[in-house]
Amino acid sequence: MATKEIQDRSRTYLNPYAAGIWLGLVLLMTFYITGRGLGASGSIKTAVASTVNTIAPKHAQQSHYLSQFITADENPMNNWLTFEVIGVLAGALISGALAGRLKLKVEHSPNITSQRRLVFATLGGLAFGIGSQFGRGCTSGAALSGMASLAAGGFIAMLSIFGAAYAFAYFFRKNWI
Amino acid sequence: MKEELFVSGRAIPNIDPYLNIWHWSIPVYLFLGGLAAGLLFFAGLYSILGKEKEMPTTVKWATFLAPAALVIGLLCLFIDLKHKLYFWQLYTTIRLQSPMSWGAWVLMLITPLSFLWAGSYVRELKPSWKWTFPLLNKVEVWVAAHRKGLAWAMVILSVILGIYTGILLSAFNARPLWNTSLLGPLFLVSGLSSGVATILWMSKNHAERVLLSKIDLILIGIELFLIIHLFMGFLASNAVQVEAAQLFLGGEFTVFFWVFVVILGLVFPAILEILELRGIKIPVVIPALMVLIGGLIFRFIMVEAGQITRYLY
Amino acid sequence: MGPLITQGIIDPAWNNVLAVLLGMAFGFVLESAGFSSSRKLAGVFYGYDFVVLKVFFTAAITASIGLLYFSYLGWMDLSKIFVNPTVIQSGIVGGLIMGLGFIMGGFCPGTSLCGAAIGKIDAMFFAGGMFVGIFLFAEAYPLYENFYNATDLGPLKVNEVLGVSAEVFILLLTLVAVAAFYVTSLIEKRVDKVDY
Repeated sequence: MATKEIQDRSRTYLNPYAAGIWLGLVLLMTFYITGRGLGASGSIKTAVASTVNTIAPKHAQQSHYLSQFITADENPMNNWLTFEVIGVLAGALISGALAGRLKLKVEHSPNITSQRRLVFATLGGLAFGIGSQFGRGCTSGAALSGMASLAAGGFIAMLSIFGAAYAFAYFFRKNWI
Repeated sequence: MKEELFVSGRAIPNIDPYLNIWHWSIPVYLFLGGLAAGLLFFAGLYSILGKEKEMPTTVKWATFLAPAALVIGLLCLFIDLKHKLYFWQLYTTIRLQSPMSWGAWVLMLITPLSFLWAGSYVRELKPSWKWTFPLLNKVEVWVAAHRKGLAWAMVILSVILGIYTGILLSAFNARPLWNTSLLGPLFLVSGLSSGVATILWMSKNHAERVLLSKIDLILIGIELFLIIHLFMGFLASNAVQVEAAQLFLGGEFTVFFWVFVVILGLVFPAILEILELRGIKIPVVIPALMVLIGGLIFRFIMVEAGQITRYLY
Repeated sequence: MGPLITQGIIDPAWNNVLAVLLGMAFGFVLESAGFSSSRKLAGVFYGYDFVVLKVFFTAAITASIGLLYFSYLGWMDLSKIFVNPTVIQSGIVGGLIMGLGFIMGGFCPGTSLCGAAIGKIDAMFFAGGMFVGIFLFAEAYPLYENFYNATDLGPLKVNEVLGVSAEVFILLLTLVAVAAFYVTSLIEKRVDKVDY
């Protein structure tokens, strides 16, 4: 039966080395076409700027940080990364659908509750939000694309992110293993 | 009625060089009209084919949305009128050469028809239903007896309605972007596709969903074909229309059209529906909603872009 | 001669349309590799799944080798590529906080979008947390504005810093990567499998 086949495929992932090569090719194409790499946190940053600008324009104007991204003539959301993110959502949806992984759920280790997972997911997001602004990019934008373009900033980002994660790993091991 | 006189032929505010008179209410009405046309067309079609049992949502339940869509659409049209109190004058004459007259009369016929059709199925939904006026019981019996004739009327009127939403723009030849005969069929197909997407969303019957997915794929295919030929036509035409097409091929509407209408509104839902037909489960709300939003944005873009294009200087 | 848009070979108006298509490829590959699963992502820090390391290194090397080849073949002008500015203090602090966020949340922004797209609620919460985090950052910005802009060395390339040519650097990086792949495969054999 078709549904039974799909259930068995939900754990099948692409070979990591093959996936790495595909990802590298996508990144290469992006550089070739646009001259910049991929990114992700930048789109959320413009989303924040847009939202604050819509709800409280004066506050956005006065904010030293957000006002950099709000220009008078163009909607900050009309920006390359926002459209890339729309594509990312669509592409991930197709891939998940093909593998039968589309399911509304909270993924967590059996040793913890889903509430605990959600709390840590939110805290992790908060930290990543703050950190990505200091680092001027996230793992996709600064680290991955930075490494591909041989930017020193990219390698610094890569090393500090993974270094810090390894250093803190011991304290959060209960959440994962 | 206060009349406005323009002495100069150039730089008339809101009319020359850029038309700025049709705002949000027209695209919303065009969308809702197309949606109602799609819903009623398939209801009538499958009723004539005798498939009431296999396609219950198509023939019965989805049509409950059609009267609502038509009434809201008419309200939008009404809001757009400048001399609102004179709207009734549209119904004092039938002018065959005026698209607006066609539209007014088609709407005048199809709106009560959609109410009759949907109303006749209320008792199936809720067996204890009681009409407020006893006359309506007789009407219900009459409708049930004449269902085939009414279905034919619905099919014909909904096709006219769908095409008319496009002709409403294309009759305005003075706007180069609208000066094409492809808009009528394009809006009809887009409306039918929106209708099918809505029925797909509402349907609970698997066989019905499979058939509707296939129909939707064909309609999306036709729509893409028409869009490509629309642009081919513009680019092969006079310089003003080439310029109008450039609005979508490097101009200000490029991103919104190709991303939101073509990729997210047509191609991506088509891919999802193909996957669904191959047995891969996808929540049907995703392709359905994307087709609907794509259709709405398409009409917004056509109305806004069309008003920017002009033949003179 | 690339990059196509900055050199005007493709009209810049299509940039955002291409963004959607490139993004779709990006999202598809990330999700197929399993990056939509936080437990798979966190595996690299506990030794039960090194997919992050493998994909990351392979992608970075493929792309950088590809860029060098394109430049060698005359298809691309490397000087026109965007190179991230090197901001040392702010960058390192940002990286440390991001690392903490990674190990707590199990996602990074791009992968949280992939997770959210396939219905992972924790990914959606992560993305929401990011939104709030960026907002908080913006609110408190005047406190560390000077720190944020300190030691901006501009778009430095790592091989310039180390004093080697780009080709030599990538060769060394590839060797490091291959060694890392071998070591991680040894580690994976010894660590208990986690079922997710």
